[in-house]
Amino acid sequence: MKYARVGAGLAVLAVVAAACGSSTSSPAASTAASGGTGAAIDIKVGIELPMTGGEAPNGVPTANGVALALAQIKVPGFNITINQQDDAVAGVHNADQGAKNMTALVNDAQVLFAVGPYNSSVAQAEIPVSNAAGLMQCSPANTAVTLTKGDAAVALRKTNPTKIAYVRVATTDDNQGAGTADIAYNIAKAKTAYVLDDTQTYGKGLADGFENAYKIFGGKELKRDGVPGTTTDFTSYVTTAQGLNPGIIMYGGVTTSGIGLFRKQMAQAGLANIPLVGGDGISDGSAATASTFLNIAGAAGDVNTYSTVAAIHDIPNPTQFATDYKAMFQGAEPGAYSAPGYACTQIFLQALTAVSKGVTDLGQLREAVRAYVADPSHTFNTVLGTVGFDANGDTTQHTISYYQFDATSKDWKFLQQRDFTANPVK
Amino acid sequence: MTTAVQGTPAARVRLDRRFVMPVALLLALAVAYALMVLGSCATVGVGTCDKWAQGQDQFINALTIGGVYALIALGYTLVYGIIELINFAHGEVFMCGSFVAWFTLTRLGFSGPIADNLPLLVLVVAFTFLVSMAVMGVVGVVIERFAYRPLRNAPRLAPLITAIGVSFILQNLIFVTISNSIVTVPQVIPNPVLNIGPVHIRGINLFVIVLTVALMAALHGFITRTTLGRAMRSTAIDRDAAQILGVNINSTIALTFFIGSALAGAAGVVQGLYFGVTVFNIGFQAGLKAFTAAVLGGIGNTTGAALGGFVIGFIEVLASVYGVGRWSEAAVFGALVLVLVFRPTGILGQQLADRA
Repeated sequence: MKYARVGAGLAVLAVVAAACGSSTSSPAASTAASGGTGAAIDIKVGIELPMTGGEAPNGVPTANGVALALAQIKVPGFNITINQQDDAVAGVHNADQGAKNMTALVNDAQVLFAVGPYNSSVAQAEIPVSNAAGLMQCSPANTAVTLTKGDAAVALRKTNPTKIAYVRVATTDDNQGAGTADIAYNIAKAKTAYVLDDTQTYGKGLADGFENAYKIFGGKELKRDGVPGTTTDFTSYVTTAQGLNPGIIMYGGVTTSGIGLFRKQMAQAGLANIPLVGGDGISDGSAATASTFLNIAGAAGDVNTYSTVAAIHDIPNPTQFATDYKAMFQGAEPGAYSAPGYACTQIFLQALTAVSKGVTDLGQLREAVRAYVADPSHTFNTVLGTVGFDANGDTTQHTISYYQFDATSKDWKFLQQRDFTANPVK
Repeated sequence: MTTAVQGTPAARVRLDRRFVMPVALLLALAVAYALMVLGSCATVGVGTCDKWAQGQDQFINALTIGGVYALIALGYTLVYGIIELINFAHGEVFMCGSFVAWFTLTRLGFSGPIADNLPLLVLVVAFTFLVSMAVMGVVGVVIERFAYRPLRNAPRLAPLITAIGVSFILQNLIFVTISNSIVTVPQVIPNPVLNIGPVHIRGINLFVIVLTVALMAALHGFITRTTLGRAMRSTAIDRDAAQILGVNINSTIALTFFIGSALAGAAGVVQGLYFGVTVFNIGFQAGLKAFTAAVLGGIGNTTGAALGGFVIGFIEVLASVYGVGRWSEAAVFGALVLVLVFRPTGILGQQLADRA
C-alpha cells in the first residue's frame, strides 16, 4: 500500500514537471551576443505570447518575427536577449497567466520592452500591469477596440492615465469587422448573413464591427447569436444555419474557441456550400499545420471560407522578409503576425537608438523608450512601412488584408487589402 | 383513477408511479418539441424555412448530445451512489476513451466512412466500442484501486482532492505523450439522411441515440436483475450490512468503477464518431456538464442521471434555437439552481437502490 502511494505521488510529480517543462520552454531562438565591445549593456526584450498547444500556430511564428529582427538589427552598446513568456494554459490562451507573465517581465529590470500579447482578452489583463510599471508593450495582433479607445480603455490605464504603455501595430476591430463585411458583401456577394461570436472580448467586438459595416453596405443580418467558447457541439447552430440559408456565415472568434469544429459540423451536414468569413482569429496557417482552423475544419469544410488579417499584407519588401524568415527557421513560412512581431521589435530598437546616448541606468532607459514610442509625433520605419501611434496608442496604419482558402496550396491565399484611412466604410 | 383511489395507499403510490413517470416524460418531450418548432425560423423575412423540419432536427440534436451527457453522468452517479465520492476524474476518463477510439480506428487504417460494407462497419464499430469500454473500464478499476481505496476511510475531502489530482494526471498524460492539439477521429459511420416514415434523421444521430438508450437499458437490467447488481445496490444502501451478508465490498466497488468508466469510454467513442475530433482538454467541460446532469437528476440515482443528461441537452439546444446561445451555460446552471431550490435531492431524488 505504501509503495503504491509513493508510486502515485512520483507519477504526479513527473507529470506535473513534464507539463511545466513544456509550457515554459521557448521555441524562439535567442539572439547571439552582438559581438562588439566588452562594455555592452545586457538588456532584454520580453515576448508574451501563447506558445503551446492549440495556440502554437499563433504565438510561435509571431515570436519568430521578434527573434528574426533581433538577429538582423544590432544596436551598438547593447547585448539584447529574449525573456520568453507563454500565456497558454493547457493549450489555450489565458488572461490570468498573461497578467502573471507581464508581472514577471515588469520585475525583470533588464526587460526594456515587451512584444505581445496575441489575444485581446489577455491584453485586457496585462495593460493595467504594464501601465502601472511604465513598461512599453507593443502588441502585434490585438484588435479589440476597447483596449485603447473609450471609457473601458481609460479604466485599464487608470494608474498612469497620461502615460501610454501599450501600443499596437494591428488596427482595430471596427476596421477588421468592416473588412469581413466587405468580403461578405462585395467579394462573396452575400446579401444575407448569419452572425455568430464566441462571447469573448475579441470575437464579440469583431462580430459587432461586421454587423455595423454589413448593414451600411446594404446586407441583411438574419440572426445574431453567441456560442460560448467552450462549446464542442455546434449541431444546433448548424441546423439553424440550414433553416436560415444565409448568403454567408460570419463567425467572430478564434480557432481555440471552436470555429473549426463549427465548420467541420457544417460540412458534415452538407452545408459547406454556405460561405464562412472570419477575422484574424482563423488566419492561423495552412491545413497541413496541426490545430489551425483549416486543419480542424477539414478538406470538406475549408471550401468557401474567407479570413482577414488586421495588418498590411503587401509589405514593402515581402520576398526579402519571407526569404530571411525561412532561412532562419528551417524553411517555415512566416505566420500572419510574423511581420508585425518584427515591426514591434524594430520600433523598440529605433526608440532605443534614439534615447540611449549616455543613459546607462536600466530604469531610465525603460521610461525613455516608453515615452519615445508613445509620443504621437514620432514615426518608425518598419517592415510594415511607416508606422506611428496616436494619443491612445493605436497604429496610424488602418489596413486590413483579405484572404480566401485556396484548394491547391491548402492554405489562405491573399485576395486584396483595403486601407480604411483612405477608404472608410460609410 | 377511481380504482387507484380505492386501493390501499401503497397500491395507489405504485400505480401512480408506474403511470405518472412515463406520462410526465412524454409530456415534457412534447413540450420540448413544440418549443423547438415554435422557436425555429423565428426571424422575420425568411420565406423558405420549414419550421417543422427545423424543430425535428433540433429535437434530434438535443437527444444526441443529451445521450452523450447521460452516458457520462451515469458514471458519476454510480460511483457516488456506492461510495459517496464525486469522481472528478470521470470527465478525463471520457476524454481518454475518445483517444482510445482515435487510436483504434487510425491503427485499423480507416480515415473516412465505410460505405457499402455493412458487416465490416458493424465489426469495426463494435470492436472500437469493446476496446474503448474495456480499456477505460480497467483504467477506472486501477484508479479506484490506487487513488481511492487507500482513502476509503479517510475524511471525505481527501479522496475528492485525489480525484482532482487524478484528472490532472490523465489530462497531462495525453497532453504530453499523445497530442497537445486537436486530433481527427475517423468518422467510419456513413452519414446519409434516413427517412423513416415522417422522420428524417442522419445515420450517426440515429446510431448514437439507439446506442445510448440500449446501454442505459442494459445497465438498468444489470443493476435490477442480476446478483452482481443486487450486490451493488446493497453496498450502496449499507456497506457494513452488505459485508456481513457476504458481499465482497472491494470487488463490488471495483465493478462499479468498471461499469461507470466503461460507459464513459463508450461516450468517448461516440464523441469521436459524432464530432470527428477530440482534444486533451474536452474532459473538463464534458465532465462538468455530466456532473451537473447527475446532480440535476438526483445524484446516486441512475435513472435521474440519464434524465438529467437529456434535460441539459434540451436546454442547450433550446437556448440556441431561441437565439440566446450565449446564455446556454447560464441557462443550464440556472436550471440546476432552480431544481435544487425546490427539490434539493434533484428531480428524481437520491437513492440508488430505490429506483435504479
